[in-house]
Amino acid sequence: MDGKAAGAPPDFHFYPLDLYDPEDRLHPFPEGATRTGREVYAEMAEEASDPGSVALGKAPRALEEEVDELVHLYALGGAGEWGSELADGSAPCTEVPEHLPLGAQRDWQRGPEAGERGCVGWGATGPGLRETYRCAHGRAIEEYECYVIPEEEDEDEAALVFCVTCRAPVRALEVSDEHREHEVTALDKALESAKDEVHKNMFKLEKQILEMENFANHLEEVFITVEENFGRQEQNFESHYNEILETLAQKYEEKIQALGEKKKAKLEALYGQLVSCGENLDTCKELMETIEEMCHEEKVDFIKDAVAMADRLGKFLNTDTDVEITTQPDFEDQTLDFSDVEQLMCSLHALPAPSAPVINPQAPNSATGSSVRVCWSLYSDDTVESYQLSYRPVRDSAPGKDQAVFTMTVKETYCSVTNLVPNTQYEFWVTAQNRAGSSPTSERAVYMTAPSPPIIKSKEIQSCEEAALICWESGNLNPVDSYTVELTQVETPEASGVTESVVGIPACESLVQLQRRQSYTMSVRAHNMGGPSARSDPVTVHTTGSRFPLNQHTCHPWLTVADDGFTVVRSERKTPLKEPLPGNTRFSRCVAVMGNLIPVRGRHYWEVEVDEQANYTVGVAFDDVPKEEDLGANRLSWCMRHRFASSRHEYEFLHNKTTPDIRITVSPRKIGILLDYENSKLSFFNVDISQHLYTFSCQLHGFVHPCFSLEKPGRLRIRNGIAMPTHVAFY
Amino acid sequence: MRLIFTNKGRMALKEISSNKCFEGLQKVFEHDSVELSCKMKFGIYLPPKAETEKCPALYWLSGLTCTEQNFISKAGYQQAASEHGLIIIAPDTSPRGCSIKGEDESWDFGTGAGFYVDATEDPWKTNYRMYSYVTEELPRLINANFPVDPQRMSIFGHSMGGHGALICALKNPGKYKSVSAFAPICNPVLCPWGKKAFSGYLGTDQSKWKAYDATHLVKSYPGSQLDILIDQGKDDQFLTDGQLLPDNFIAACTEKKVPVVFRLQEGYDHSYYFIATFITDHIRHHAKYLNA
Repeated sequence: MDGKAAGAPPDFHFYPLDLYDPEDRLHPFPEGATRTGREVYAEMAEEASDPGSVALGKAPRALEEEVDELVHLYALGGAGEWGSELADGSAPCTEVPEHLPLGAQRDWQRGPEAGERGCVGWGATGPGLRETYRCAHGRAIEEYECYVIPEEEDEDEAALVFCVTCRAPVRALEVSDEHREHEVTALDKALESAKDEVHKNMFKLEKQILEMENFANHLEEVFITVEENFGRQEQNFESHYNEILETLAQKYEEKIQALGEKKKAKLEALYGQLVSCGENLDTCKELMETIEEMCHEEKVDFIKDAVAMADRLGKFLNTDTDVEITTQPDFEDQTLDFSDVEQLMCSLHALPAPSAPVINPQAPNSATGSSVRVCWSLYSDDTVESYQLSYRPVRDSAPGKDQAVFTMTVKETYCSVTNLVPNTQYEFWVTAQNRAGSSPTSERAVYMTAPSPPIIKSKEIQSCEEAALICWESGNLNPVDSYTVELTQVETPEASGVTESVVGIPACESLVQLQRRQSYTMSVRAHNMGGPSARSDPVTVHTTGSRFPLNQHTCHPWLTVADDGFTVVRSERKTPLKEPLPGNTRFSRCVAVMGNLIPVRGRHYWEVEVDEQANYTVGVAFDDVPKEEDLGANRLSWCMRHRFASSRHEYEFLHNKTTPDIRITVSPRKIGILLDYENSKLSFFNVDISQHLYTFSCQLHGFVHPCFSLEKPGRLRIRNGIAMPTHVAFY
Repeated sequence: MRLIFTNKGRMALKEISSNKCFEGLQKVFEHDSVELSCKMKFGIYLPPKAETEKCPALYWLSGLTCTEQNFISKAGYQQAASEHGLIIIAPDTSPRGCSIKGEDESWDFGTGAGFYVDATEDPWKTNYRMYSYVTEELPRLINANFPVDPQRMSIFGHSMGGHGALICALKNPGKYKSVSAFAPICNPVLCPWGKKAFSGYLGTDQSKWKAYDATHLVKSYPGSQLDILIDQGKDDQFLTDGQLLPDNFIAACTEKKVPVVFRLQEGYDHSYYFIATFITDHIRHHAKYLNA
């Protein structure tokens, strides 16, 4: 049996999942190992092509043999078990590798039945094909070919599920028997999870590749660094040793020279002695000669000379003759002083202290409101272990005052210093340290933190269809250099539009040109030497209609503006009025308030909701309209006035105290006001019935602002940011 | 009840004159009127836009003693009509040449004083059917012969024509998109002109008069919102003579909440100079509704 299962090792465990769909399934077996499998395939093919026929016409005996072979092939328990089971007609064991064709299993199941039915319709093609395979039996492995036989009908057959516990596919029918207790999932799911696992493994491998590559790069870098460090050390040593050698040579020269001089001194002393000795000798000899001569002289001369001679001799012999050698022939032992050489030798290991680093000027846009990034550089020859960065805020106050200096130690040549105050200048200096000590301090550089973001005054935004005027608070105590306004069109929630920037704004307000009927998000940044601040909180501006806030500075004391910013109320109570100061911006006679309309010449439209019985005046006026006069009583204002008295509505359209005689039968509750700079017109409408009420022709050389007043207690509500209704467009 | 037999095809129109004006054409036509049983002329201004598309129609009713000529020559409306693309039709004020006894005796009754009513009294009832002419026959004629959008029609007029415009609008809710008037006779049943004309055309039954009185019609006006613009010269002698009585009309409109803007124009009289001054405002008023 074993011999027949050619090529298959005894513990041949197959990975239980198949990555290919049944149609694509190729024979995964090595060439020679599937003889029996192929036979089964062949049988299956016959079955597939000849569904009518009873598949296995062979004797149950032959089937058993084949089964046994397969069993051994796949190491599926004892040789006899399978056969016996099959003969019983029960289901085969679950541990069937999935690559076996389903048909094969089916065959086994049906085999006995088929066999029982007898040899019916084995098929005309059957014996022939079978013969082919049977002949193949026993031939060399290389001659076997691999056939792929489609198994279309398998899908229609008994459903196949996957038993997770046994990690093998099983037929649904079998689940109830053997796999009752096991976890079972659909084959598709099992397939997917297997694919997932494989993919995961692939990912892991990819990551590993990346890591290794990175590591290799890193190693290369380290290589280079080692070379560099070596070079540096080499240089160091060379210079040191040269120094030492020079010192030694120098010492040698000095000592020799000293020795030579000593010798010279000694010799000179000796020579001196020799000379004096010689002189002594000469004198003695001369005296001797004289004495001898004397002896030959006459007695009288002899006595004279002898007395003189005796004096001389006496003197001479009294003179000490120094016959001691004053000069020692020996030289002292020289102690060789090498202490400084030793010192030099020791300093070979000690590095010099570094030189002062060079602190860089502040890089543009490298600061935030609370931090700056300080950079410096060192001389390349220096070896530095760490740096000490110190800083303190720059103040205008007296320099004698002690200011806190902060210091930090860093290893890199840069440092982000945090926890700083926005829009402030700081002085930085740095020293380098190594084992030999500290460098001198660098020059001091001034860095500046970026400013705090400004705060847009969102309630004071003025806008129209073509532009918006926004103003803001600086957000900083000290002045900044300039501001930038950034705006983006809000198109759709997902799309991020292009951001426009208006730069170099000197003051805290900006008039920005915009497009009609859009929404914009706008924010502001402050700039200083350190860079830009963070963005301010954004505001949204809609370029639909005109939008104006009410100017509280013009508000009569008896008028209040509600929190929404657009409801104007005159309450019953009256506070006593103070005498208005000259140059007062508040209305003092008519109980009025003005709005701040964007200074753009175009068409502006807004509406006012009124009570039918209220006494009100609405219109426009110049900034410098006399506040102690009624609206409409001068040339600087145009307005519509409504009075309700004795159940009658009276309407006036006032300018310079004059009004046309107009009667209106339906009292408007919502008044539309159109200010048209281009055509020099101011029109009023009854919005609810689209009725035109009146139009002023007004020469507007400057900019006017909407104005509202209440002659009696009541309220009116302003609506703006409204697109002009079509009926208004006719005017 | 009369039956009106109209030709299915075009009614015979004879062009009397044509002048180019503000890139449009001011024409005068003559036709045989069935309602009035005589030849009638009317002026019609065709703006440049009418060459290519259908335009709305604005009917002007002239006042006492006028013909189709006064408005087209004196009012100076052609520029505004051209700009807004409106066809403006100005019919005559009464049937002409009917040889009715007494038709030429007064300037405020008979010829040139049709009062835009359908007369019920002899000898006027055959010919003096200006109401039907203006509201039925003329629009049909115009719609059939000119590039007019039949759904967009408005009416205005001066003095007696103002009265005519008001009553046509009030008696036909929804037919006219807008109405306006210059110095209209607002309350004819109470003014000398009206009393004279109505008693002549309609007899003594005052209930028949009210059917042609704007002030009365407003009181029972059920229809959709009208937006009425009325200009009145403050120095109009007929105003002081009590012929026009706008206050009554305004009061009635206030009561019924019919929107009216009534402008009393300082220094202006009853003449075409007054009309010419404010005609542009009126045309714009109508254009707002006709071109909407």
